[in-house]
Amino acid sequence: MTAPLLEIRGVSKRFTKRLDVAGKIAQRLGSKIREETVHAVDAVDLSIAPGEVLGLVGESGCGKSTLGRVVAGIHGASDGQVLYDGKDIAALTGAEKRAATLAIQMIFQDPFASLNPRMRVEDIIGEAPRVHGLVSASDASNYVDEVMSKVGLDPSLKRRYPHQFSGGQRQRIGIARALAVKPKFLVCDEAIAALDVSIQAQVINLFMDLREELGLTYLFISHDLSVVEHIADRVAIMYLGRIVESAPTEALFAAPKHPYTKALLAEAPRLDQRKRDFAPIEGEIPSPLDPPPGCHFNPRCPLARADCREARQMLETISPGRAVACHHWTET
Amino acid sequence: MSDVLQVNALRTHFFTHAGVVKAVDGVDFTVRKGEVMGLVGESGSGKSITGFSILGLIDPPGRIVDGSIRFNGAEIANAPEPELQKLRGNRIAMIFQDPMMTLNPVLRIDTQMIEAILAHEDIPRQTAWERSRDALGLVGIPSPEERLRAYPHQLSGGMRQRVAIATAFLNRPDLIIADEPTTALDVTIQAQIIHEAQKLTRQTGTAMIWITHDLAVVAGLADHISVMYAGRIVEQGATDDVIDRPLHPYTVGLLGSVPSANKRGQRLYQIEGMTPNMLAMPTGCAFAPRCRAATPGCDTAPPITDIDGRHLRCHHPQTVGVAS
Repeated sequence: MTAPLLEIRGVSKRFTKRLDVAGKIAQRLGSKIREETVHAVDAVDLSIAPGEVLGLVGESGCGKSTLGRVVAGIHGASDGQVLYDGKDIAALTGAEKRAATLAIQMIFQDPFASLNPRMRVEDIIGEAPRVHGLVSASDASNYVDEVMSKVGLDPSLKRRYPHQFSGGQRQRIGIARALAVKPKFLVCDEAIAALDVSIQAQVINLFMDLREELGLTYLFISHDLSVVEHIADRVAIMYLGRIVESAPTEALFAAPKHPYTKALLAEAPRLDQRKRDFAPIEGEIPSPLDPPPGCHFNPRCPLARADCREARQMLETISPGRAVACHHWTET
Repeated sequence: MSDVLQVNALRTHFFTHAGVVKAVDGVDFTVRKGEVMGLVGESGSGKSITGFSILGLIDPPGRIVDGSIRFNGAEIANAPEPELQKLRGNRIAMIFQDPMMTLNPVLRIDTQMIEAILAHEDIPRQTAWERSRDALGLVGIPSPEERLRAYPHQLSGGMRQRVAIATAFLNRPDLIIADEPTTALDVTIQAQIIHEAQKLTRQTGTAMIWITHDLAVVAGLADHISVMYAGRIVEQGATDDVIDRPLHPYTVGLLGSVPSANKRGQRLYQIEGMTPNMLAMPTGCAFAPRCRAATPGCDTAPPITDIDGRHLRCHHPQTVGVAS
């Protein structure tokens, strides 16, 4: 196996809501008020090989976006390391650090909120490469044209503002902005979720073309199983801050092992299922402020027993490239 | 089976300063008792405005300019407001995408549900309360007595949508219009909500119009599918026919652009371009500028034709397999 391009080791991210002065006084006076901590990401390990597309799937609040943001360097990790090309990004300095952070770029979900409405498209795309000295000021204009054509935008529109574009075109601007600094690794956080079906297909095709053309590696975060199945080589399923299963795409969709993965696959609507009876799993996703003890999925799990409430089963390799975190995955 | 709703040549236009937006421009369909019709389209196709028109919820500058909406045989298009109020929430109910559009944030759940019953029926408050409690139980809300005392913000998104569905079913309506009710929800919660809606329509014989952009959802739920594009229904037929053998190039394209296992890793079928500007609609077929089968003849509006058990608006039905 080739060395991973990006490796995440035991990464956790916690957000704590600190008490203000009034809260602290109330606490002194015996109130039950306390600091609240959200364990958004809880000791996650992942590795992504060069050229690979890893799909990260989970429902809202499971921490998939937070994990993406930690990888892209927008949030620092509370614990653990993010290694790019074998080196811990947090420990790098100077030019090496800059190279590593430039190599990882992020594409956001909402093409309306992620572009500065007061900047022209040429500045949105051209600013970063100019600042980082990738192109000279005189070449910047041509460079912007080149990047825009690469993502299927007409370069003659570069003097326009984001509001003059449709949702799909804006997402292309977001992609062009990320590509302008010549990244090796893209974190796509629900990058197509806000788009219409026919526009989604255009952007998925663009991602696949770019991968082939530029040899990009992706962390593709999505809640949409069919999209991930289409584009990813390997899939990791996340539930309440933890990875519960990871496997090559085909193996995972053919035979899911974790009860949560099974439930997800069974319930996602598919075109080939007609007039079916929807038979959902019970219950809701627990609050990450107060996750259940042991395995996080146990209150909703059909296989749950006493041991599931006591101890967390760590991710365990069950066959090459395939890991599952469940006490009872062998039972069906 | 009897027809609950017949919509004929419905036109809802918006008269803006920039020009006339023909949001709904000649829509026909029929929904029978106990039937689920999937109304599918992308943003701006007019599918929500069709739903709002049925309920008489079109505000100026918009109005229904033409066509008829017959509900249980009676004409309700442009009916006087008091008459519509007797129908809304009673015989026809609506479930919105965002349950906070249905729920008043400053009133408790019980207040809102009881009000919905007492607005249409003269029964004791206690009876209305009991019916509300039972309705919440039916949509799978645990400890409904307690939930009735809660405010909407104390419930999760999935719970709120359940309350909205329970409220819609309170008066046993003949028709429910569900406008993207699961779009904002997670997969496992979406399955729960579809399950509850499906169960209730089967138990009560309520007809349903399920408005969505997600073909996969209606494939598993609907009896009939109507595909809308730029204010018109371009293809209409039984679910199996439309999904398995689409005839309109737009439906073919939509289905082709849905990722699925058998196309893994391949390029997806791509409909070029984007939806037309509603202020400057192409003359003739609105899909022609994006259509691979388009010919010069497409600049005249295609009439509705019946082919293979379906209503179709196209000069060039894709009868020979999926275009690629």
